[in-house]
Amino acid sequence: MAAEAPRIIEHDPDLLGPIRTETMTLNMGPQHPSTHGVLRLEMELEGETVLSCKPVIGYLHTGIEKSMEGRTYNKALPMTDRMDYLAPMSNNLGYVLAVEKLLGMEVPRRCQYLRVLLAELTRIGSHLVWLGTHGLDIGAMTVFLYCFREREALLKIFEKVSGVRMMTSYFRVGGVAREPYPEFYGECRAFLDQFPDRVDEYEELLTENPIYKRRSQGVCPISAEKALAYGVTGPLLRACGVDYDIRKKEPYLAYGDFNFTVPLGENGDVYDRYRVRIAEMRESRKIALQALAGMPEGPLMADDPKVVPPPKEQLSHDMEALIHHFKIFTEGYDVPAGEVYQAIESPRGEIGYYIISDGSPSPYKVKVRAPSFANLFALSEMVVGSLLGDAVAAIGSIDIVLGEIDR
Amino acid sequence: MEEELSRKDGVDAADPDAEALRAKLGEGFVSVRAHRGQVTAEVSPSALREAARLLLEVRGFSLLSHVSGVDCLELPAPRRFKVVYDLLDLGRAKRFRLEVFCEDDLAPAVPSVGDIWPAALAHECEAYDMVGIRFEGHPALERILTPEGFEGYPHRKDFDIGREPVEFTFRETPLGKPAAKD
Repeated sequence: MAAEAPRIIEHDPDLLGPIRTETMTLNMGPQHPSTHGVLRLEMELEGETVLSCKPVIGYLHTGIEKSMEGRTYNKALPMTDRMDYLAPMSNNLGYVLAVEKLLGMEVPRRCQYLRVLLAELTRIGSHLVWLGTHGLDIGAMTVFLYCFREREALLKIFEKVSGVRMMTSYFRVGGVAREPYPEFYGECRAFLDQFPDRVDEYEELLTENPIYKRRSQGVCPISAEKALAYGVTGPLLRACGVDYDIRKKEPYLAYGDFNFTVPLGENGDVYDRYRVRIAEMRESRKIALQALAGMPEGPLMADDPKVVPPPKEQLSHDMEALIHHFKIFTEGYDVPAGEVYQAIESPRGEIGYYIISDGSPSPYKVKVRAPSFANLFALSEMVVGSLLGDAVAAIGSIDIVLGEIDR
Repeated sequence: MEEELSRKDGVDAADPDAEALRAKLGEGFVSVRAHRGQVTAEVSPSALREAARLLLEVRGFSLLSHVSGVDCLELPAPRRFKVVYDLLDLGRAKRFRLEVFCEDDLAPAVPSVGDIWPAALAHECEAYDMVGIRFEGHPALERILTPEGFEGYPHRKDFDIGREPVEFTFRETPLGKPAAKD
């Protein structure tokens, strides 16, 4: 007896109405490997399709902004790199620039170049973590291992220059914490010289990989208008084709001197975000190399003994220096009253410090405009209507750091 | 200090965006000031939404960087609470700050601009959570950073951040507490 052909029952919407299953509310997180920290997503699902997604934050709230109000400007600085632990130098930079703006101070050229160099290395380091964890999210383990190999080299440089691998606190108001060690420039150059080959390796694994492309192309896109409306900044915004990079448009430090392009995407999907970040790493390398090549001679610290601590060797024989040193580290320095908002381009987007000074040595109010905070709340726009598995790729593609979202 | 932070009606920053606001709002426009190259315009709460619409639709400030609630308890300010909006026009690479003082010091409230810039929604929740300013017309104003059941508004200046008692331990001896020289 011949096997009966399988009978296909056609669903007739006129007769039965559209197929609807019960929707399910799913809590993703706070402990979930793909939420990159303690983030909870309240998702309403119909089958595998996301109907709504609401980020619930606050699990990592440590009151950093409030704590900064009770400290002098110097002592508040180390709290900034604990917010975004993947890009500590960018956070330091935003804060010191804001305080310097309040003080009306400008640091010497050499310091500006050194800060640019380190900020760009930080950007590379942060994008490497992003790339690695994004790879993990979509099931590409090797990328993670490759990325952390390079990140380790960067962290070694950071450790040597500042004393700490991650919480560097290296940028200080009026300069940097100390003169870089003698081999610093050589080591940076060695890292940057071999870096393009390494990026090629990552790209070999992902860029033309059909599995990766199917997981990322056209996945969870966001339009440029929507992104702007939600205050999305950084690589996420540029992946939608909006040409806005604070380094280019509102140059701070010596960014006006450097020659670099701002990589743009077209579709605003996960794949474009990946392409933009890969291209940004190459651009950051270019900037860093230019900063190395053009490193000016001259003083490293601003000439303001009230704010910049004197060199250590002066303390043993110069009474004046000893007094300044003591005053800076105990009382701090008075910062003229006023309020400023200083935004810089962090690896994640626009990080802004809104500082109000009442003229005393500690800030009256600090508010940090965290790039991930705004970017995260655009997530619901991206994932509605997509599959749950794609939502995981989208969360990773935003590059959130919960430390700076919750502060 | 008073110079910078007080309202100065006569001093004009001669900023085209501020002038457009002044022309449009009339009475609702309070003052404009410039500090360290940044222009801040103050408007009255009732004129806030009109100002926001003008800035977005006519002046092109399409990106709202953040919304902050500020407790001006120890600052020379006419009212206790203010809300600050930092705006960015990407085309001109220009930033502009809008600020509003809440009329009631005991129950501070301003209209929400969440339907004008959706980015404001999350930031307004944060300002509500931290400073306790109500944003009228916000669809889901709730605490987002502090845990459930949290009382008080931590970024207010009179919020007690608390302290931990320092605990000393010592070994009981027949002679009582050891002296410092031991």
